[in-house]
Amino acid sequence: MRPEVGTILGLSVQKLALGITQEGAAFAQGTVGLLATVLGLAAKEYERGADIRFTENREIRALFAELAPSVGNATLRAELTQAAVTSDPSLRISDLNSANYALRDLLTRLLIDAEEHGALHAQKRIWAVLKALAERRLVQLGP
Amino acid sequence: MNELEDKLAGYLRGKLAAPDLTVAGLSRIPGGASRETYRFRARYSERGKHVDRGLILRRDPPASLIETERSTEYRAYSAFHKLGLPVPEPIALELGSAALERPFFIMAEVENCTTGGIMSPEPYGEHRQRVGRQFYSVLGKIAAADPKAIGLGDFEGAKAVREAARHEVARWEKVIDEDELEPQPIVRAALRWLKRHPPPPAQKISVVHGDYRTGNFLVDDNGEIRAILDWEMSHLGDPLEDLAWAIDPLWAGADPARPGGMLPRAEAIRIWEEESGLKAEPKALHWWEIFASLKGAAIWISAAREYDEGRNIDPINAFSGWYCLSFHNRVLAERLAAEIGA
Repeated sequence: MRPEVGTILGLSVQKLALGITQEGAAFAQGTVGLLATVLGLAAKEYERGADIRFTENREIRALFAELAPSVGNATLRAELTQAAVTSDPSLRISDLNSANYALRDLLTRLLIDAEEHGALHAQKRIWAVLKALAERRLVQLGP
Repeated sequence: MNELEDKLAGYLRGKLAAPDLTVAGLSRIPGGASRETYRFRARYSERGKHVDRGLILRRDPPASLIETERSTEYRAYSAFHKLGLPVPEPIALELGSAALERPFFIMAEVENCTTGGIMSPEPYGEHRQRVGRQFYSVLGKIAAADPKAIGLGDFEGAKAVREAARHEVARWEKVIDEDELEPQPIVRAALRWLKRHPPPPAQKISVVHGDYRTGNFLVDDNGEIRAILDWEMSHLGDPLEDLAWAIDPLWAGADPARPGGMLPRAEAIRIWEEESGLKAEPKALHWWEIFASLKGAAIWISAAREYDEGRNIDPINAFSGWYCLSFHNRVLAERLAAEIGA
């Protein structure tokens, strides 16, 4: 989730401290309302961010373990097999992201391979994971 | 703000040949993420009469969300205002930086109106039917217009009916390539799907508004649409692009069956078809609907980067990068998974 929570907090402070007073009342009112919304979302992300990434990484690795044996491309198969047994070094967002970006890149390559070879079962399994990923990361407004 | 007021008054005195012109009440208002928008009043004498007129200034920001041709929006306003569509009267365009430090244009303010909120479950309340009929009727008229006949034949975009889809996919893929901050497997899958399943050629090349949706037009208290706004992404292309964007679920409020919080989908399409004289062939519209969510994702990816790198720290960019992108990612995942029965 970019921008990350830390970036949002820092830039919100910067906006409040430096930017809003120059904008005039009507615009500033809108900006403050938006800041409140964004900070509310950041609070939710603070709570769920590590869990989302941890769960996503675990599910992608499990998918790689399941599908790697059926991948014909030896290089890709080896990368999938290797990635399937990796683990997250810590629950820091930066560590989880680093692993997550690598896994998502590999997931894209796996999907392309499945598309190119007409591997429908693999595509369906990948899309099940992608749908879950999108659902989990969906940002909800309101309480 | 006083310095900008003075500069603006100086510019308009010359432009309107009104040496006694004064500018009052200049204040920034929300409106379009790619331009700074200000409301003000211009007071001056004209043929012996006192004029007190509300105007809008749209100025380039230091960094823009989506890079758009500066004259595009002004030329679109001019062309469709002449055609009698509800758009604000354009007053002046300045492409240089001498007058107000950055390029800008000025148009008439359409007063006593509101925009519907895209997050509101009922953006138009009791007027939703009336507003919806006008909304899709005006969009049909935009689609029906001949770009060359209204002076916009040289607009950026596709020049041939077979190019429209490919041109737009390439345009937004470039944005994603340049601005992606983290891997986007769903967005990348959408790009591949769009390329592998091209839609039928466009029925005609039209002016595409580019951001025709709830929240981008002004409505008065009687439910009358008074002004279609934010033409900065307008271009030449397949008119189905605008229709698909207008009915995208992001603007649905609480009810996906009533896109934009206005009419039921089928009625919206019927009105558009009647007014445009074109057909919204389901297969073609389906492709453009997936494209609409991809285009949305590209815009939100770009917004997130602007914000993340501190070039534009308006919180709307953080909101877009989180809420809107996650929304369109889910829409794309559902639609693309459905394509293979997943």
